[in-house]
Amino acid sequence: MLQAQSLPVLERPNIYCETLGPEQFGIIQKPLTVFERVYNQVWLRKIGILIFLALGWELYGRWLDNPLLVPPFSAAVQALWHDLASGVIPARAWASIQVLMIGFASGTFLAGLLTVFAISSKLGTDFLDTMTAMFNPLPAIALLPLALIWFGLGAGSLVFVLIHSVMWAVSLNMLAGFRGVSTTARMVGRNYNLTGLRFVARILIPAAFPSILAGLKIGWAFAWRTLIAAELVFGVSSGKGGLGWYIFESKNQLNIAEVFAGLLTIILIGLVVENVVFRVIEKNTVQRWGMQS
Amino acid sequence: MPSGTSGSPAAHRGRAPDQSGQPLLDVRGVTIQYKTQEHLVTATYRVSFKVLQGDRFVVVGPSGCGKSTLLKAVGGYLNPTEGEIRLKGEVVTKPGPDRIMVFQEFDQLLPWMTVLENVVFPLKTTGTLKGKAAVERAMHYIRKVKLADFAHSYPHMLSGGMKQRVAIARGMAMEPDILLMDEPFAALDALTRTRMQDELLQLWDETRFTVLFVTHSIPEAIKLGSRILLLSPHPGQVKAEINSVPRGQEDSNEAAALGREIHDMLFADQIEEAPHAASAIATGT
Repeated sequence: MLQAQSLPVLERPNIYCETLGPEQFGIIQKPLTVFERVYNQVWLRKIGILIFLALGWELYGRWLDNPLLVPPFSAAVQALWHDLASGVIPARAWASIQVLMIGFASGTFLAGLLTVFAISSKLGTDFLDTMTAMFNPLPAIALLPLALIWFGLGAGSLVFVLIHSVMWAVSLNMLAGFRGVSTTARMVGRNYNLTGLRFVARILIPAAFPSILAGLKIGWAFAWRTLIAAELVFGVSSGKGGLGWYIFESKNQLNIAEVFAGLLTIILIGLVVENVVFRVIEKNTVQRWGMQS
Repeated sequence: MPSGTSGSPAAHRGRAPDQSGQPLLDVRGVTIQYKTQEHLVTATYRVSFKVLQGDRFVVVGPSGCGKSTLLKAVGGYLNPTEGEIRLKGEVVTKPGPDRIMVFQEFDQLLPWMTVLENVVFPLKTTGTLKGKAAVERAMHYIRKVKLADFAHSYPHMLSGGMKQRVAIARGMAMEPDILLMDEPFAALDALTRTRMQDELLQLWDETRFTVLFVTHSIPEAIKLGSRILLLSPHPGQVKAEINSVPRGQEDSNEAAALGREIHDMLFADQIEEAPHAASAIATGT
């Protein structure tokens, strides 16, 4: 009390200010410098990283001077160029991609069916949960011996293991995505009399699209890995081998530069799919919709 | 039957002549219970009210009074354990486009569609209108909520208030029998909320739609409502059904008195009920 009384009373006037109009400001927006703009380009930064890695490889290869262990980058590129021009790699890559597309597409389709079944009933959910718990950790390659017995030496076995490697990963992601669709969005859909498959197609799939896309990416990577590994294990089928077989063959003939050329091809295809195909899909869907930054 | 003794001219003008005496929405003795993991919760107990054509019917009550649950039941998302809800004489059993909900959450707009597509979407999927007619109707209502410039923007580019305006346009474009609004302005800042309330009233002046509006804000109820239903908390029971002050007098002494009256009615038995109510809120909402 005493303290409060002893404090001097500060007289403060009300303050009113005039604000400036926008035309009275100098700079509101200022362009970035050239370096800042170049540095802001994601693809330029990524290419920078790639050049750096290639340089390191080249220098190490030359320093080692043992083409049987690590041929320099330039030798690998030369082998790649040679086999690209002669049509060997394109044919092998095409053989791989064909099998891959069949396996990936059917795996994704089956995953979709399984997930729709899973969200429409409790039994379906339990079924998918149990199946993914059992089969997702099982490496697809481990099924290859069985597949060979069932489907013989040929594309059939490859497609079987591919489906196995794609399906569980994709359906896990799809189910997580469907479960994550907000109650409000669901209620909005039901408000417009959407039920059954129309509800899934018009509300659930677009709303869960970020997760579905992530699942497809994972599935794609799994499929690639499984395919190359399977080809390495059982090699040529009906006279036409894929990239895995190309790598295996080249190793047997001690053409190590070609082994690297095969690996580079796999990497290049992976990069194109990731940075072109999936990028374009992302840009036109989840990013445009503001569901992912 | 509301007698309209308040002498509100707006409320009278809004009501279509109702010789048949049949209300648009008839809620009779509705008890709603739902199960959580551990409890069977009674959200509302024997709630009855009637909404007439052109009403701005506001349900107000503290949180945990089951007002949102009640609105969901009118929407057809929940079935009452006792009593029945009739819209134009038909018992409500499932959601339908004759009762469009406007939610509080901003994610009620589908993010993969532009503003225009969002408004067109229900028109087309329910088969109300096709092709050009649907787009024209949608644009008409988008203009009404003053968003014509943003028709081709995606929802994530809009502010919260704009998103709610789109949701209202989407609901109104369907021209439903009744528009159900679940605290649509609660997530907005105070300035935007006031503006949205004014705009909603302006829209009502133009089209005279029937709206059932749920809020926990007494001033909002007085400002927006023509008729106000008061619910007590846990479980929700009708405390009163009263007329609001005439339009444009929400700052008058009359309105202030009404606000105090509502406040006293809602919170009279709050002290003794508080411990129960607290547990109900924790599990119920």
